[in-house]
Amino acid sequence: MEKVGLFLGCNIPFRAPDIEKAFRSILPEFGIEPVDLEGASCCPAWGTAPSFDLDTWLSLSGRNISLAEEKGVDITTGCNSCFGVLSEAKHMIEHKPGKFDVVNEKLKLIGREYKGTSKIYHIMHLLYAIIGPEKIKEKIKYNFEGIKVALQQGCHSVWPSDVYEVKEENPFFPIHLKTIVEATGAEAPHYSRIEDCCGMGAMSSSDREKSLQTFKRKISSIKEEIDPDVVVTGCSSCYLQFDGSQKVLKERGDIDFEIPVFHVTQFLAIALGFDPKLVAGICQVSRDEIVKEMQSEKRLVK
Amino acid sequence: MSGLKIDDAKIKEAIETISKYGGEAVVKCVQCGACSGICPGVRVGFNVLCRMLIKRILTGQLEETLEEVSTWGCQACNRCTEVCPQGVRPMEVVFAFRRYQASELALSTSAFGPQMSLYNVGHAVTISPEAVAENRKKAGLPETPPTALNNEQAQKEIQTLLDNSPMAELGIF
Repeated sequence: MEKVGLFLGCNIPFRAPDIEKAFRSILPEFGIEPVDLEGASCCPAWGTAPSFDLDTWLSLSGRNISLAEEKGVDITTGCNSCFGVLSEAKHMIEHKPGKFDVVNEKLKLIGREYKGTSKIYHIMHLLYAIIGPEKIKEKIKYNFEGIKVALQQGCHSVWPSDVYEVKEENPFFPIHLKTIVEATGAEAPHYSRIEDCCGMGAMSSSDREKSLQTFKRKISSIKEEIDPDVVVTGCSSCYLQFDGSQKVLKERGDIDFEIPVFHVTQFLAIALGFDPKLVAGICQVSRDEIVKEMQSEKRLVK
Repeated sequence: MSGLKIDDAKIKEAIETISKYGGEAVVKCVQCGACSGICPGVRVGFNVLCRMLIKRILTGQLEETLEEVSTWGCQACNRCTEVCPQGVRPMEVVFAFRRYQASELALSTSAFGPQMSLYNVGHAVTISPEAVAENRKKAGLPETPPTALNNEQAQKEIQTLLDNSPMAELGIF
């Protein structure tokens, strides 16, 4: 793969563009040029068209995918919602009877066509299956030996496994993110609630207390069982939940700790030696101390 | 559920409605409950999701469930789809039910904002343009992202798709 279409979504370019910067920084290091999909819209998010009308969802997602098709590139994203919505839409357009024609009829209204030529990769899948841990090991500038990571893969990268381009061997025991993180030298031990939901998404927008309850169960389990230095997420929504809701729980006296959080692209960008102010500079829970440790001179790979 | 009367016509109507909205595999459900056992929504008290929602549909209680809020708490995580031994794809049944609810405008007013925003600027999740620009500056990126946000042509395309959809009849954008 020489080029890949960068599907940004909403949260990454607006709220956490340091993740976007991390994408743009690391991909060329691995020999892949990120290509912009100009005019890409919301995927559309689960609470919008998918909740109202199936064909409208498929045509909006179809339009986004057609932007990559026009450029002859596959798509990658770091938001699990975008990944899930686009992957499921692609699967339905291509496999649900009649949908391919319905979508193209709609897209004709705006002079576009869905062909089905672009694949959709989560950035974790791209890093694991296309780039591979050996190449990551070759490129790291700082070795993260001794740094303990709590993994947060996120829901829409593993389930439903039948619609995704790259699949985990056991979708309830995912190893893609673990393999990527361990390629930096860091350790990523198992914990009992590793595949639990973080509580972001519709749960958060429809009942914030239920969302915080779900998040508290998970973050407490992480702290008690493995007491990590950092959390690394595969998903930008999980990232926002872990970064933002620890603050909320701490202020309410529900937890008495804070663990710095990174999106996997940021974690790798730090390992590759990029400027943390640019690739990991926007957060609620401070990452200053751990970043200093991660990029300390003693860790430089000779 | 005292006094529930099984009414064949209501069952037929419920199954046809949910199938029409994309949940046609609902009829394969054997009520084993694998989906509800693994559902993060059910765990925190969104009780009418997965098995329970499907039971309501298969017993013809469509209108009786119209105002149910559990469906809007679904994370769309698809754990249910993964474990369902019958191929029901429960999450798609939940979303088909949402579409039925939306067609009757039985949804929280808080759901309107994102639709309006999707229609106007092509993004459901937005913050002020100033905050976007400030965040992007911090990351050393151009203040305007290469998305639909500041792209009139893209916004027009999205508006055309939405104007020519059943969503346009709901008056939500």
